[in-house]
Amino acid sequence: MKTKENILLDIKDLHVWYRVYGGYLKVLNGVHLMVREGERVGLVGEAGCGKTTTMKSILQILPPGDFHIPQGQIFYKGQDVLKMSFKELQRLRSREIAMIFQDPTTALNPVFTIGTQIGDVIKYSSAFEENEHKETIKGRSIKSLKEVYLPDPERMLINYPLQLSGGMKQRVCIAMAISSPRNLFIADEPGTSLDVTIQDQIMRLLNEVVEKRKTSIILITHSLGVAKEMTDRIYVMYAGTIVETALPEVLFKNPVHPYTKGLLASVPKISGGGIAKGIPGKLPSYLNPPSGCRFQPRCEQESPICSEKPPQLFEIEKDHLVACYLTQR
Amino acid sequence: MKQATNNEILKIEKLKKYFHIGKDKQGPIYVRAVDGVALNIKYGETLGLVGESGSGKSTIAYTVVGMYRPTSGQILFKGKNIGMEASRRSLSSKKEIQLVFQDPGSSLNPRQTIEQILALPFRIHTQMPKRQFREKMVELLEKLELSSDYLYKSPPSIGGGEKQMVAVARAMASNPSLIVLDEPTSALDVSVQAKIINKLIELQKEMNLSYLFITHDLSLMRNVANRIAIMYLGKICEVAESVTFFEKPLHPYTQMLISSVPVITEEEKNLKPKKVISIGEIPSPVNVPPGCSFHPRCHYKMSICSKIDPEMIEVSPGHIVRCHLFAKLENKK
Amino acid sequence: MRNSNQPNNSIAISLVRPKSIFWLNLGKNWYKFSRNTLSIVGLVIVAGIIISAIFAPWITPYPEHAGPFVDFDNTGQPPSLQHLCGTDNMGRDIFSRIIFAFRGALIMAGVVLALAVPPGVLLGLTAGYFVNTWIDIVIMRITDIFLGLPPLILALVIAAVLKPTLMNAMIAITVIWWSWYTRLVYGMASSVRNEYFVIAADLTGASKFHIIFREILPNCLSPIFTKVALDVGWVILIGASLSFVGLGEQPPIPALGQMVSDGGNYMPTLWWMTIFPSLAIVLVILGFNLMGDGLRDMLETGRE
Repeated sequence: MKTKENILLDIKDLHVWYRVYGGYLKVLNGVHLMVREGERVGLVGEAGCGKTTTMKSILQILPPGDFHIPQGQIFYKGQDVLKMSFKELQRLRSREIAMIFQDPTTALNPVFTIGTQIGDVIKYSSAFEENEHKETIKGRSIKSLKEVYLPDPERMLINYPLQLSGGMKQRVCIAMAISSPRNLFIADEPGTSLDVTIQDQIMRLLNEVVEKRKTSIILITHSLGVAKEMTDRIYVMYAGTIVETALPEVLFKNPVHPYTKGLLASVPKISGGGIAKGIPGKLPSYLNPPSGCRFQPRCEQESPICSEKPPQLFEIEKDHLVACYLTQR
Repeated sequence: MKQATNNEILKIEKLKKYFHIGKDKQGPIYVRAVDGVALNIKYGETLGLVGESGSGKSTIAYTVVGMYRPTSGQILFKGKNIGMEASRRSLSSKKEIQLVFQDPGSSLNPRQTIEQILALPFRIHTQMPKRQFREKMVELLEKLELSSDYLYKSPPSIGGGEKQMVAVARAMASNPSLIVLDEPTSALDVSVQAKIINKLIELQKEMNLSYLFITHDLSLMRNVANRIAIMYLGKICEVAESVTFFEKPLHPYTQMLISSVPVITEEEKNLKPKKVISIGEIPSPVNVPPGCSFHPRCHYKMSICSKIDPEMIEVSPGHIVRCHLFAKLENKK
Repeated sequence: MRNSNQPNNSIAISLVRPKSIFWLNLGKNWYKFSRNTLSIVGLVIVAGIIISAIFAPWITPYPEHAGPFVDFDNTGQPPSLQHLCGTDNMGRDIFSRIIFAFRGALIMAGVVLALAVPPGVLLGLTAGYFVNTWIDIVIMRITDIFLGLPPLILALVIAAVLKPTLMNAMIAITVIWWSWYTRLVYGMASSVRNEYFVIAADLTGASKFHIIFREILPNCLSPIFTKVALDVGWVILIGASLSFVGLGEQPPIPALGQMVSDGGNYMPTLWWMTIFPSLAIVLVILGFNLMGDGLRDMLETGRE
């Protein structure tokens, strides 16, 4: 029975605004997201929907000075990240949460060797001090590289990123994330920039690594297929709000929110059947977002309350929540 | 020299494109981007070209369009040889063959308005007087469901999907007969992709176009192409009709690629080959493995595979494979 | 569905059509420019200098002091309310002379840049378009040679050969200045040249003229404008250096460097004769630099 004590990360009603010419880009408009211990959570959404903003908020790495959080809380192990001191944030970033970025080429510093970079991660995650007498940094680096199936780890330490292929670089990034014990991984579209066969290998590796360590993971992706194969629970995001969340089998068999339905219909299938027409319209402007449901301008169904205020997530069956007035009858 | 048959708009024969990148003790080093490729496209057909990085699919696209000069081999367009750079081609072949690039952000000049971007093909390839341009442009934009005020916008202010629509409009402005599309929707979201693909299919029928459609996305390919060719390290592995390609994939690489595609329905999952999981890295095109270039990663490799490069074999009408597994079958016939 | 009243719609469209993308985004551009308050400070300084230079005869307290004028009763007056920067050894109001000196400085900068920038840009575009061919090599090696020549020394040499006038000083600087633009534009043009939109234009049959001037050049303009704004300051500085050694505007027409040099003879008693013209030079360069930074922020954010 999953109890409240098992909740690792709990984002409640997060609003994030960016300051630009002409006002504020009101990107996030009440994001709710929860990750339990050992759970694999998928965050699915298209470009510009706010997935990266949400992730950056968790680690507080939003561009300084240009953002504003009018309301919302991000609870990590019961403590609000938005109210953490710098030291507490440092501890969060170096010991608790690891991020695996989308493009391994830009995530690695081209002028330092792999050994230096993994070594830095180990050094600055203060867990190292505790084990100092047991293993050296080099030993731990090699151990991590072995775990991600990189051939010849000793030689790898003195290689530079440009000597490696995309798949190998992504493995190095994963090795960096697992080099010291963490409780949560945030993987931002890992493998999107790689070839399909290599992406498949990386995904299987990530799965294996996460299962072995019982770490939680938030997997951000725009590919529904990847989300289905790799997660225990999926959140669907649109224009800065969570519109639906369910277990993968439930979500794909019985999508309820019009956006989810439209999205699933647009995905081409290798069994054929053509491609649906897509979803008419485009993302709303964040500068002047619609006052009610943000999907309403593109939605085929409508009711007057849809343009008045944004719908809240509503549980229509166990573990299946939807933010839509039309399903709340 | 083979002649193109009447229903083939494009015929590629023994095409090779090598890039010279330096020298070592044994002599000059080449990247064999395209290493002996034969393809054809019939009128009104969409031929899909699938492959991962290093496969050479983009190089073929760029050679067909005239960005590169073939190292050897022939490209026949409507029977005429066009195997040369664009600067040496006739104006009519430039009009007839158009290209849609992968990244809409860099294929449209950010310092021009869309009107200026569309004016170029109109000016070069039609005899219309300038006053009529605007009318025609608005017509063209409407076909792609873009309103007329897009004319005064410039690329940085519009979204990726809309930019790609403009790129397609530009390709269609000269009234071509063959459009080469190099991963036109790879940089776009799924819902935007659906819109554009549907438009492309609609306009293909309306304007009698043939498409050379290049992508790495197999599920997209299944729903867009009539025939699919799959490439690995500069050579074609298999060519088949769309349905056959997925129901009876023969080449081990084809099977590996299909099994790597993330799918969402049970139906699709059952279609995926179970035993062929992706292993190994894609070698660099400078260091192509000897014999069959796929053998280091192949689950079915035999001793002959590391020594001799297999020939293309027609296993059934329209279905050709380049693999020693099937050479045996042929010999048994 | 649209109705088929094509002609009416065309007219309506052309009425609404904006002149250029820059003016269309004026508000946004101003926002980008004004993010840094120093840029606005720079703009104010530059505007002040230009306006005061244009309206010098009407706004300076003693416009006649900028010509042949002496007042031996009032020589060597320290700064006061009547003479904001004091008077010099001939009794002339230094403040008014500084404002008039701005005129010469701005004219020199204007002429030099008007003569140096177009050929420099043109050569850079050509070398960039024909990158990696003999044309590129020839143009850029010649440019490298000119970049290596020190402007001040060349100017002195030219002055030694020809007469020391403002005109010749301008020629001296122009002769070298174009090469900086060639280098700048070459860098941009050679990379823009390989962008997909240029290739697309090429493949569809566009002429070389179209590609160079309609595709490549518009993408090089931002750094050119920024550099021109910064260069005004630099040209004025070099002009001041030349007039410091006696080349450039000849007395009694005031020039900033000349005033600094004259005042040097009377240091430290009549310190205001040197200090204020020097501060004026600093102010000019500071103003143009700060404004140039703002221009760069405004123009060069690239893809939005």
